Amino acid sequence: MLDTAIDTMANIESKLSQLPFSIEIVAENALLLNWPQEIAIAQHNQIIALQILLNKQLPNLIIDAIASYHSLMIYYDFNIVNTEQIIRQIVELFSTNTQHGNLENKQNSTDIIEIPVYYDHEHIWDLYSVAKQCQMTANEVIKLHSSTTYRSYALGFTPGFCYLASLPKALQLARKSSPRTKVPKGAVAIAEQQTAIYPNESPGGWHIIGQTPLPMYQALSNKFTPTIAIGQSVRFNAISKAEFLAFNEGKTQ
Amino acid sequence: MTTNYLEVVAINSHASIQDLGRVHSQHLGFSASGAADEYAFLSANKLIAEHRHSLNPKKSQLNCAAIEITLGQISFQAHGDCLIAITGADCQAKINNLAVSNWQCLQLNAGDIIEFTMPKAGLHSYLAIAGGVQLQENQQPWLGSFSQTTNEVALGFSGKPLTKASKVYFKPAAFITSELTNAATSVIPNSQMSKPIPQQFYATQTLTLRFIASPLFLKMTAAMQKQWLSSSYSISADSNRMGYRLHLQNPDNTSTNKPILSGVLRASCRLSKPVCYGMIQLPANEEPIILMKERQTMGGYPVLGTVMTTDLFRLSQMRPGAKVNFSIINVQQAQQQLRAFYQRFS
Repeated sequence: MLDTAIDTMANIESKLSQLPFSIEIVAENALLLNWPQEIAIAQHNQIIALQILLNKQLPNLIIDAIASYHSLMIYYDFNIVNTEQIIRQIVELFSTNTQHGNLENKQNSTDIIEIPVYYDHEHIWDLYSVAKQCQMTANEVIKLHSSTTYRSYALGFTPGFCYLASLPKALQLARKSSPRTKVPKGAVAIAEQQTAIYPNESPGGWHIIGQTPLPMYQALSNKFTPTIAIGQSVRFNAISKAEFLAFNEGKTQ
Repeated sequence: MTTNYLEVVAINSHASIQDLGRVHSQHLGFSASGAADEYAFLSANKLIAEHRHSLNPKKSQLNCAAIEITLGQISFQAHGDCLIAITGADCQAKINNLAVSNWQCLQLNAGDIIEFTMPKAGLHSYLAIAGGVQLQENQQPWLGSFSQTTNEVALGFSGKPLTKASKVYFKPAAFITSELTNAATSVIPNSQMSKPIPQQFYATQTLTLRFIASPLFLKMTAAMQKQWLSSSYSISADSNRMGYRLHLQNPDNTSTNKPILSGVLRASCRLSKPVCYGMIQLPANEEPIILMKERQTMGGYPVLGTVMTTDLFRLSQMRPGAKVNFSIINVQQAQQQLRAFYQRFS
């Protein structure tokens, strides 16, 4: 029995060194798995595949698993398993499924969400200051922003807020030096290499370049479904003011 | 069936409904939220559970939603009889103008007025009711919790903030247990029960926050680590249920001219990551932020480590100006403390 235990430990040790991620013990009940710090689709597919696997295979141990660009936060019930045991289970799960090819890229590229945007032609928000800072015209900003296909890398900040990347280099700006206390619902915004939509009115420090009439989530009978799921592809589609208004009217009828 | 509720008759502070939080939905972007001070919150529910029985110490009472009152200054009128417990910051509570003790189970009868004044020390007080509280009759928990989150109020999933004339509903006493129907307004003796001993839990002077060091902290030079561990901080006025901001206590000290986190290490943190309760963020101004219950789910600032959970409950009761410092603990020790903490309430 003892030999088996030692063997298993040795196994884990050797597996740990071969993993594409490091394991950080961040709290009594939480581990943070860190992949190399980059925005990369294959790596992100692996992160969300592991997130799904953990929820499916260890439902009694996992409290929540939260994915981002290069990390996976795992909350577990530390009354049932200790840190070493949960690490072992995660590593086993990852290794077995990697061998079987279950963590490979299974991206369904045809599944692109279209977000209609009424860009800020009315100079209410930041479209023109963004254009100025990027040394291009407002129309060029719109064209660049709406001709790129983005990927949803993380959900967070507020419910339904999706971090989409990567924004074309020419549009990458630092966050606003002082955040707005009120950003409108549906604001389409950019910051650094990211773009996103504010699901509700909230404070925000990103540059607002337009507004979408599309709701960013559905909430029905205790279930919250974000319009954009993690890992999904997203495109923005310029619409006119008339279309923007018509969308809202259509919704209320 | 009659409707039973407490009505807010006056409020000059912040109060919200809290339980142990929405811990399963951070992947959707929901704050975990929950009671700021679990020691006081769980004590209140345990006082009720143990009073109700001896017969049937129902575990379910422990996560029953309660009213979290920040800085007192609120009064309620009871519409219906109920068994309550009050804990946390001592608001010199009065029932119908008669002083009652804190950390105590009490009976409220229909028509009674319970009043909380500004506490002399501490921040959060808890008013728990047998069977829990709701903001609407037959309200269902949202994603597993009744906890309210300031930033999520606009979403409308867990009720409006408490204001004057708000009603906080509770189940009729007969539903909970028949023993209450004849009880008089009085302090209910709970003789053989394990009374909470708050003075053994909370810090009286400087609170040492024991933290699990992050890999980033371990990459700092020994001198910078030492500087962090020997510094004393005071809690800034813009601290709240989301996060505690800290100011360096003695900034005129000569060694403090150097940043704690080198430019190279700071530059190594580029992309946002999920964050957890108690993480110590260090923004560019080097004024640390400790993430509390209403934290958002993602963060981009460098993280030096995570304060152990039981110290965060202590911290949550400390006011702006109070002093804290840091020491390192390992995860096994932190887990031991947290396990022992929860065992007290099981």
